[in-house]
Amino acid sequence: MESSENQQGVAVKINEDYCSRCCICSSVCPFEAIKRDPETGRMLLEIEKCQTCGICYSSCPAHAIDAIYYDVESLIRYLERAKQEYESDTLVIMCKGSAPDSSAVEKLFGVSEFIPLSVPCVGRIPEDVLLKAIATMGIRRTCVLACDEDYCRFEKGSPITGRRIMALNILLEELGYGKEAIELKRNSLKVKADRDKCIACGNCAFYCPFDAAKLVSGAAEFDLDLCRGCGLCVTLCPAFALDLENWETERMTALISRLSAEMDRPKILIFRCQWSVFPSLDEEFDSNVRAIDLPCAARVEPLHILEAFRSGVDGVLIAACPEEDCRSKTGSKESQRLVTALRKTLSQIGFEERLHFCSVAPRYAESFDEELRQFKARIEGNYLKEASQ
Amino acid sequence: MIVTAQKPLDEILDVLSPYSNILIAGCDGCTQPPRGLREAETLSELIGLAGRLRGRDFRIKVTTVAKQCDSYLTVTTLKSQTEDVEAVLSLACGLGVQTIAEVLPDVPVFPAQNTLFIGTEMREEGTFEERCAACGDCILSLTGGICPIARCAKGLLNGPCGGATNGKCEVDPEKDCAWYLIIKRLEKLGRLDVLEEVRSPRNFQVVARPGRLLA
Repeated sequence: MESSENQQGVAVKINEDYCSRCCICSSVCPFEAIKRDPETGRMLLEIEKCQTCGICYSSCPAHAIDAIYYDVESLIRYLERAKQEYESDTLVIMCKGSAPDSSAVEKLFGVSEFIPLSVPCVGRIPEDVLLKAIATMGIRRTCVLACDEDYCRFEKGSPITGRRIMALNILLEELGYGKEAIELKRNSLKVKADRDKCIACGNCAFYCPFDAAKLVSGAAEFDLDLCRGCGLCVTLCPAFALDLENWETERMTALISRLSAEMDRPKILIFRCQWSVFPSLDEEFDSNVRAIDLPCAARVEPLHILEAFRSGVDGVLIAACPEEDCRSKTGSKESQRLVTALRKTLSQIGFEERLHFCSVAPRYAESFDEELRQFKARIEGNYLKEASQ
Repeated sequence: MIVTAQKPLDEILDVLSPYSNILIAGCDGCTQPPRGLREAETLSELIGLAGRLRGRDFRIKVTTVAKQCDSYLTVTTLKSQTEDVEAVLSLACGLGVQTIAEVLPDVPVFPAQNTLFIGTEMREEGTFEERCAACGDCILSLTGGICPIARCAKGLLNGPCGGATNGKCEVDPEKDCAWYLIIKRLEKLGRLDVLEEVRSPRNFQVVARPGRLLA
């Protein structure tokens, strides 16, 4: 049970005053984090089990669940602002897990200009937001890009989205918005293997958390139905024979150098698992801080960390999920192993303080901010010290 | 596989210090992790970083050889890439370094690795364990598939020595007594009888150093 002390900054809470004890939240929670107390009838949330997917929030008919991230008010605020910024009346809501770059959105939905709304799991978007956007905000076209159902990092998020949109479309049609007013498409980002480059070392076959890889007649082969796109095999492939859709090695290299060029010193680059930190929709960093969101901390290549240092970055922070929360089973653990090994090598040249690995979970909203604050203070302190020498 | 461990960066930088144009040659062969292109790129970044701290700016190219213990593959891969190269840094074991020295007589070559032993990667444990001493006179058929030459600290042919405690070696209690493992395994296979014969000393002339075998 939660102590009153760690209620502070907790990302999801049940508001007793509004709760009608209908138990919908406990039936939709993919992680069995909400249960009805058989004695008192109250709904109890076990925050340590909660993965902050927001499915309970979007499903509660009594609005009795308070969520820190992407609540109705902040979503609406974002849409109002973004409508001006993007000068478009097409809205594309994407799950971060399957959100490709805009060119892929263009291909999938045939739209070139649109308001992007990227959230960890579209299953967290309440109907109210979609209805309000369509009915009162002048959104003429609404596209939803969810993960393939068996690819959903929150298990039920994507299937629930499907059912929710089907029901909404019936309602919208009755209201005169036409058939299929909300377009739903599904996508998954998976590994790409180049057989010609494979040297048959077996790393992917051994490390894949989902048993998607095996060595067949001297080269790695993937069962893409099993691949969950964590990128661990890509990070560990010694021959650059593997890549991950949307997070290709070369693309990351280019992104690192672009971000480094736009930062002030001392430059701090964050690689974060997109399930470990849920940034607010208006997230803005200081001029010396930038972040790259990844499908899993396992996608952080030690080589990319070194490239960041070469491009002038002063400090690299890796934010991963705690091992027990990792959506890629062993991804977080392997990432920590790789970063620890690199730190050990960097300690030979006194560079280890510039690299920090932290485990954070969005269920405690402030834990990442606190890690960043401490790391930033350290890097900035060292930078000032060096400058004064 | 041949098990290696990377040398300290300082040592690598020291041997490279007279040169500016370096070629790092990976090896996709048997070392684990394979010291292929990724390791070569990673070491290139590390040398660049460490070099800049020393006020040095190396120009580094990277490549990889399918296996550096093959003179043909090594020369055909590297020959065309060494034109403006002043030194080659090899990521392979001691074999690879020497192959390069032989096939590129005009270019100095340096090892980036210390070569440790012939070992097995125990994936689950995350360790490399020495398993073969390349003695040239294999007795694994008599020892339940467990080599006492490589795995017994004393290399005994008629073990155990009597110093083992709870199946661990008296020389290093962290390691298994090879003879304890041999006896347990033969017991399980019902073949303890093979231990009844006392083995005479090993023939050390089988492989006269340096070894040579006609292909």
